[in-house]
Amino acid sequence: MKSFVVDWAYSLSVSQSYQKNKRFVHNCLENDDYKYKKYFDIFMVILIFLSVSILIREVKSHVDDFWLNFSNYFVSLVFFVEYILRLWISSSVSNIIIKNYEHDDMLDIEFQLSSTFYEIIKSKLQYIFSIKAIIDLLAIIPFFHQLRLLRVFVLFRVFKLFRYARSFQTFTSVLATKKFEFITLLMFAGIVIFVSSVLIYVMEANEANSKIDTLYDAFYWSIVTISTVGYGDITPITTSGKFVTMMVIITGIAVLAFTTSIIVSAFDEKLDEIKEVKTIDDIRKIKGLYIICGYENIAKEVAKQLLVNNNVLVLDEDISRVEEAKRDGILALNYDPGNIDSYKKLRIDINTQVRAILCLRESDVENVYTTLTVRSISKDVYILSLLINDIHKNKLVFADANEILYTKELVGMIAREFIGKPVAFEAIHTLRAGYKNIDIDEIIIDKRVLSSFATIGELNNIKYRLVLLGIYRQAHKRFFFSPIDSTILEHGDYLVVIGNKVFIKEFEKYLHTKSINE
Amino acid sequence: MNKVSALIFGCNGYTHEIVKNIKHKYENIIVFKHKDESRNLELERSNVEIFDFTESWSFLKDIYDLDNSISFCVLEDDAENIFLTISLRSTFEELNIIALSKNKESATKLTMAGANKVIPMVQTTASIISDILDKPIVTDVLHSILYEKSDLKIAEIEITNESFFNGKYPSDIEWSKKYGVIIVSIIHEDLSSEFIYSSKAKHHAIKDGDIFVVIGYEADIKEFKRFIGRN
Repeated sequence: MKSFVVDWAYSLSVSQSYQKNKRFVHNCLENDDYKYKKYFDIFMVILIFLSVSILIREVKSHVDDFWLNFSNYFVSLVFFVEYILRLWISSSVSNIIIKNYEHDDMLDIEFQLSSTFYEIIKSKLQYIFSIKAIIDLLAIIPFFHQLRLLRVFVLFRVFKLFRYARSFQTFTSVLATKKFEFITLLMFAGIVIFVSSVLIYVMEANEANSKIDTLYDAFYWSIVTISTVGYGDITPITTSGKFVTMMVIITGIAVLAFTTSIIVSAFDEKLDEIKEVKTIDDIRKIKGLYIICGYENIAKEVAKQLLVNNNVLVLDEDISRVEEAKRDGILALNYDPGNIDSYKKLRIDINTQVRAILCLRESDVENVYTTLTVRSISKDVYILSLLINDIHKNKLVFADANEILYTKELVGMIAREFIGKPVAFEAIHTLRAGYKNIDIDEIIIDKRVLSSFATIGELNNIKYRLVLLGIYRQAHKRFFFSPIDSTILEHGDYLVVIGNKVFIKEFEKYLHTKSINE
Repeated sequence: MNKVSALIFGCNGYTHEIVKNIKHKYENIIVFKHKDESRNLELERSNVEIFDFTESWSFLKDIYDLDNSISFCVLEDDAENIFLTISLRSTFEELNIIALSKNKESATKLTMAGANKVIPMVQTTASIISDILDKPIVTDVLHSILYEKSDLKIAEIEITNESFFNGKYPSDIEWSKKYGVIIVSIIHEDLSSEFIYSSKAKHHAIKDGDIFVVIGYEADIKEFKRFIGRN
């Protein structure tokens, strides 16, 4: 028997199809990152709303048998299957058996089935008695529709909604951080309600005109009063009763104020965390992301320029700089860009989602450290780093940064160009800055363009008043200046053109749509 | 006769790079180190003089040909750099001053202080970074042309024999087919720069005094110069 159970557990744990199915169910039910989970959630929410709508309709109107059966059988069956699946994935039976078997085997003691079963049952019961599982179970009960009282349990289906609404989960998790305060408050309010109920009962119950007849009435009055709702259906008539009322009202105001302040402070404390979760969720959907490490002078300007056409994320360990980035309208997180955990927390695929990582701290130590960190995660991602002091250049090269920008060298080169050809320098600067709507741009030759154009001469760039500076041949990694008309275009070539921004766009459109127009 | 020189005010990493890049053109490079600047041993081996902000600077015109010299104000502190620029400009009206600023705000002040050309460090670096990311090929091509890392060169050529073009408009001529060069911009007498295909340039017949900004291989540019004028 023992060996059969252990063999069975091992066969399950190595069975690819079993593990694949279990993983699929887990993803559908529990993994918020799984792309199909939202469809499952939507389906369940629709079932819940239909079920509740049928209940409401049924109160005063006739409902077709089809809909009643739908609510009582189909919905309940779906919920039942979901409940069983959740129970299944809540813990792994095979893992518990294997763990206990290996533990006993290692210590050379006899494997005990009873203690293993006890552990399995304990883990399953732990799930069964969790609040979420209880709500799930109660939501199935309306299946027993013959019991009219049990129909009200359909409302538990509404509670099930919370399972599929992440905002509610956030709300409960925020309130859970103030558990101690809430328990203290509840105890205080409970004592006040109890004492005031007893007092009012003792003082008023024997008065002829008093509406307080039973201790239940007294409790009802006390709760209505302390909550500051005050229906006025029960009012004290004795002087002592009125005194108790005043005390309860004053306490009620305090309790209400205290409750509000606890909720507000809980949210205040957790607000950054909630925003962070939201930011990470947003980031996960982005493709072609630029991650800027650090938000100092140059980083600020780069972020501003890139933000025009791209998605930018700033990571900085300094909270004040992160706040500044947020004020500038940039996605920013208070994460240390030199820490691997920062990228793990982002839950993004650096190779496919990130276009480039820019190490723009004004410290070579930080930039080298960040470059190494990023390179340890991804061998392929493009890394650009600032270099503040050229004696550290070899360190950045060693850390494998793809592009190193030494600002002081730039100044030297600009000075050289400026003293040599100031007019040409200004002309090129004007082009690059895109003043007067004149721009220099690169247009890729893809298969679509190639299907309509074979040679440079066919491009007709003159018609669009564009200067064709040359073509960059990706395959040879070489720039061919002013190619002759008979030059054959190749897939992956880039045309480098100069002209009016609008005409460049028109020209690009013309290249891609010529085959359609013909 | 006074010497044509490059005067660099400030003794730091920028100075080192500027000296490296201009020494092919200026034999006489003098570095003026502010008395409070930290020592830069490598630079101190070259021509270094000490100054402070009380200096009147008038002695410079006795030593250097300031009309043909160039000066760089590269002090690391923007306020000091502005003060230095204004001091130089108030003394020498014609001196060509290139100043370095950290950001655009200081750049405006440096221009107001009389600098002929201001290099705003942050904006320049940021533009280059975003160009590298957005248009890597364009940036690579332009850098190799501008900073002479390839055989392609950029040149300014002034027209001196307009009769060669016989009243033609620049956009009517197929420059690259005829001369192997590409004309990017035309600078008119009023020093306004126009793209060759812009509306204004299209209606402006080529005449003496125009400056063409030309890109091409060195031999082609030389040949082209022979046709239309002198550098």
